[in-house]
Amino acid sequence: MKTGSTTLACQHVGKLWSGLNGTSVAALRDIEMTVESGEFVAILGPSGCGKSTLLELIAGLEPLSSGRITLDGKPVLGPAPGVVMVFQDHSLFPWLSVKDNVGFGLAMKKVPKPAREARVAQLLERVRLTKFANHRPHQLSGGMKQRVAIARALVESPDFIMMDEPFAALDFQTRVLMQHFLLEVWLEFKPTIIFVTHHIDEAVLLADRVVVMSAGPGRIIEEMRIDLPRPRRMTDPGFNDYRARLTETLEREVMRAHSEDEGLASNAA
Amino acid sequence: MGDGTGAQSIGASVAEAPARNAPGHVPSWAWGLLKALIPWAVIIAIWELAAASGWSGSVLFPPPSAFLSYAIESDFRVGFGGDAMPIPVAIVVSALRVLAGLAIGFAAALVTGILISASGAFSDMVMPLVRGLAPIAPIAWIPLGIVLFGIGNPTAIFVVFMGVYFILTISTVAAVKAVDQRLIKTARSFGASRAQVWTRVIFPAVLPQVFTMLRINFFAAWMAVLAAEMVGVKNGLGMMIILGREMFNTKLILLGMCMVGATGYAVDALLVQIQRKILWWQPAP
Repeated sequence: MKTGSTTLACQHVGKLWSGLNGTSVAALRDIEMTVESGEFVAILGPSGCGKSTLLELIAGLEPLSSGRITLDGKPVLGPAPGVVMVFQDHSLFPWLSVKDNVGFGLAMKKVPKPAREARVAQLLERVRLTKFANHRPHQLSGGMKQRVAIARALVESPDFIMMDEPFAALDFQTRVLMQHFLLEVWLEFKPTIIFVTHHIDEAVLLADRVVVMSAGPGRIIEEMRIDLPRPRRMTDPGFNDYRARLTETLEREVMRAHSEDEGLASNAA
Repeated sequence: MGDGTGAQSIGASVAEAPARNAPGHVPSWAWGLLKALIPWAVIIAIWELAAASGWSGSVLFPPPSAFLSYAIESDFRVGFGGDAMPIPVAIVVSALRVLAGLAIGFAAALVTGILISASGAFSDMVMPLVRGLAPIAPIAWIPLGIVLFGIGNPTAIFVVFMGVYFILTISTVAAVKAVDQRLIKTARSFGASRAQVWTRVIFPAVLPQVFTMLRINFFAAWMAVLAAEMVGVKNGLGMMIILGREMFNTKLILLGMCMVGATGYAVDALLVQIQRKILWWQPAP
């Protein structure tokens, strides 16, 4: 894969959800975004700003209402090979063992069993879960489940991994371990990662670039390149700068949305 | 019934804690069993006492010691001559009828429910039919079953089938609607085709909920089988009770009721075990 060339381009992307009695709600408006091969982009924004919707549009899981999304020049019309999604609640299939979860994508493509098992064993080794190959998801801790989800995402060496708040449900300690683990995996496999989060620290720690979105309808209000050497630490001097700037942007946005809501409420009254 | 299984599962989870297995402790499953047996012991003791002291008529309302020993006296057989049937056979016949009806109803309901969920046109046509037929109690199908299939196993199985099929179809449709969208989206992002989403995600995802509905409706189906055996189908536990009535033999009536309760409990326990073994990812309620 060539690093540094544009792989994903969103042009004037909009999404309307149809609501009750024929009304429609704008979830996203006029999204312009490009991502380069091998880049780690974090999308930061308040809840309900449509960041998860944007991921699903890019992954081809939902149709666009307007605009255009291209991956390596080809428009996205449905789930594309090489693009996988990791959700917040890990979304492991509870009826499958750990190894069958990891091998799910290969099984869907009818990869022969010996090849599948070899590849799954390799990935389980990588996420240090070999001993748990035959366990069921409900027997694992939160961090282990998320590692299985990451192994499942990596099994076909995807070019693109979409992560929708993957670590939001984990406790602090597990989250820190998983963040380091994800970076290791990213440096090793070099997929392009789009990582949705509402944690400013997480975004600055992980991403090459942070895209900030506003709420209702979701728009991109700021993009910030994080020029900090890796490995980064939250205690680095430069870290605080980025944290402060992003916090300010987000706070302004939250207050604006809040006063708009109040304005609407007083108009209605 | 519900209490019994509840006590079992609590017992099982406590037994896993190693501290409770220290020497000198009564094992917790034994406590569970004891707690389950106490109410039975109290009821039987009062009953026996009442009969022994002549408060209740021991002929019209015989105590367990009388009707249970009647089983031994009659050599575990009921009925006369060629119609006589060993009690164990009556139990097995009734249990197999209900299990066969449940299995066929369960499989057919899953297929119908998934077809309804997959196709809007099929749903528009079939759902009103299903919703119109679902409220008919299993017992109400007995006369029609006898007219259609005569007297015998097909009628009993038909009654159980009709008793569970429509309600499980509705339950399957509801369960399909409730499948976590993220599981479906995950599967699609891993390249699952539309057919694979149905067979590899939606089908296994709905099984536990539909099976739970099967368990809930088992009792109604069980009652329907007994009712069918009472009014027409000439063997099984239901016939045992009706034979007791015809012969004014209260021992036989009570013995039959006792067997009905015990067999129903055993079949339900079997369903719980199936649920635990095969559908482990959602605990049996």
